Amino acid sequence: MNIALAILWKDLITEWRARDRVIAMLLFSLLTAVIFYFALPDQRPETLRALTPGLLWTAYLFAAILGLNRSFALELENEALSGLALAPGGRGWIFLGKMAANFILLSLVQVLTALAFAIFYGIDFGSSIGELSLTIGLATLGICSVGTLLAAMAVRTRLREVLLPILLLPALVPILAGAVRATLSVMAGEELPFSAIQLLIVIDGIYLVVSFLGFDYILDE
Amino acid sequence: MTPPLLQLEAVEKSYGPVTALRSTDLELKEGETVSLLGPNGAGKSTLLRIAAGLAAPTRGKVKLQGHAHDRQAVGYLGHATLLYPELTALENLVFAGRLYGVQATEQRAEQLLEEEGLAAVAHRRAGGFSRGMSQRLAIARARVHDPRLLLLDEPFTGLDVPATEALTQRLHDLRNQGQSWLLVTHEVQQAASLSDTALLVIGGRIVQTLSGAELNAETLGHAYKLALESRS
Repeated sequence: MNIALAILWKDLITEWRARDRVIAMLLFSLLTAVIFYFALPDQRPETLRALTPGLLWTAYLFAAILGLNRSFALELENEALSGLALAPGGRGWIFLGKMAANFILLSLVQVLTALAFAIFYGIDFGSSIGELSLTIGLATLGICSVGTLLAAMAVRTRLREVLLPILLLPALVPILAGAVRATLSVMAGEELPFSAIQLLIVIDGIYLVVSFLGFDYILDE
Repeated sequence: MTPPLLQLEAVEKSYGPVTALRSTDLELKEGETVSLLGPNGAGKSTLLRIAAGLAAPTRGKVKLQGHAHDRQAVGYLGHATLLYPELTALENLVFAGRLYGVQATEQRAEQLLEEEGLAAVAHRRAGGFSRGMSQRLAIARARVHDPRLLLLDEPFTGLDVPATEALTQRLHDLRNQGQSWLLVTHEVQQAASLSDTALLVIGGRIVQTLSGAELNAETLGHAYKLALESRS
C-alpha cells in the first residue's frame, strides 16, 4: 500500500509542477464543449439537455485517452519506469498508485468540464449532483482501471499514442453504455437506473482485479 | 556453506528470434566486486537486467543467497538515471525510499545526499543537474534501501574527467565498506582497479574469467583484445 501512496504522491506533485497533462486534457474538453455548441442545429434548452450526456461523455473519453497516454509517457524519461518495476513486492501496487493519480486528475478535469457545459449549455447539474457524481465516479474508476493497464502495455511500443485508443475503446464500450444511459436518465429527471449502476460496479470490479493482478507481467521485459 | 549472494544457473534470454544471453552461469559472493566487459551487444546489460529482476530469463534460474530473486536485495543503476526531473534531489530519494519501504526515509535521503556531496542542492530539481551530479544522485537512489548487491550499468558514460575520478573514488570507498557489485563497463582500467573478478562477455557468453594476480589492466586489456579477435 505504501508503494501505491508513494506513486500517487509523486504523480500529483510532478503534475502540479509541470501542469502539462491536466491543461492539455482540460483544453481538449473545453474545445469539445465549445465546438459542439456552435455546431448544433439549434440551441433550444430541450435540444441541449438531450444532447449533453453524449457530448459530455465524448469530452470525458477523449480527455481520458489524452491523460492516460501521458501518464506512462512521463515514466519513460530517464527510464523511470524501470525504477518503478524494481520496487519490491507485487507490482499491482504500482498499478493502484498510477490508477489513483489518473482518477484524481481526470475527476478534476471532469468537474471543470461539467462547469463549462453548465455555462455554455445552460444545464443545471445541481438538482441531480449526487446521482451524477456516483455515475461519473463509477465510470471513471472503470476507465482509469483498464486505461492504466493498457497505457502501461502500450507505452513501450513505437505506436503507443495510436495503440492505446485501439486497445482501450473496445474495453470501454460497456462502461460508456452504462454511464451514458445513467446520465441520460438522471438529466431527464428520472430515477437512476439500477441496472446501469450495477453494470458499472461489475465492470469496475472485473477491471480492477484483472489490472491489479495483470500488472505483475506488464512491467517485465 | 554460505550460498553465493548472486547465482545465475544456465540463464538464457531471447527476444523473439534474437538470443541476447546464452546458457550463462555466474556466482558472486558477499563483499565481492565483479566487472563485466565486452563489446556493444554482447549481452552485458541483459545479464544485469536479469540480475536486477527487470527482465525474466527465458531459461535458467536466478538466486539471491540461495533463494528466489528478491528485488529488495538489489540496487540498480542503468544507462539512465531513473530520476524524475520535476522532483528535487531530496524528493527523488524520499520517493525511492518509500518504494522500498525504508524507515525514516527523509533521514536516510539526507544522509545519502551528504555522502554523495549533494547536500547543498538537496532542494533543487534534478532536471537542472549536470550529468555528474545526476549520476551521483542516481547512485544514491540505487543505495537508498542499503542493498546487498549493487548493479551498475556503465556508470561512467557521459562523465567528464573530474566526475569520472570522483565516481571512481566513490566506488573505491563503497568497496572498502564491503559493498558487493556487478559493474558493466567498457573501460579496462576501471574494471581492473575496481573489481575482484572481471568477466569477458562476447556473443552472449562469458568467455573468460580473470581474478587475483592476473587481474590487472595490461592482462585484462590483452585478454579482451584476443577475445574480440577470436570472435571476428
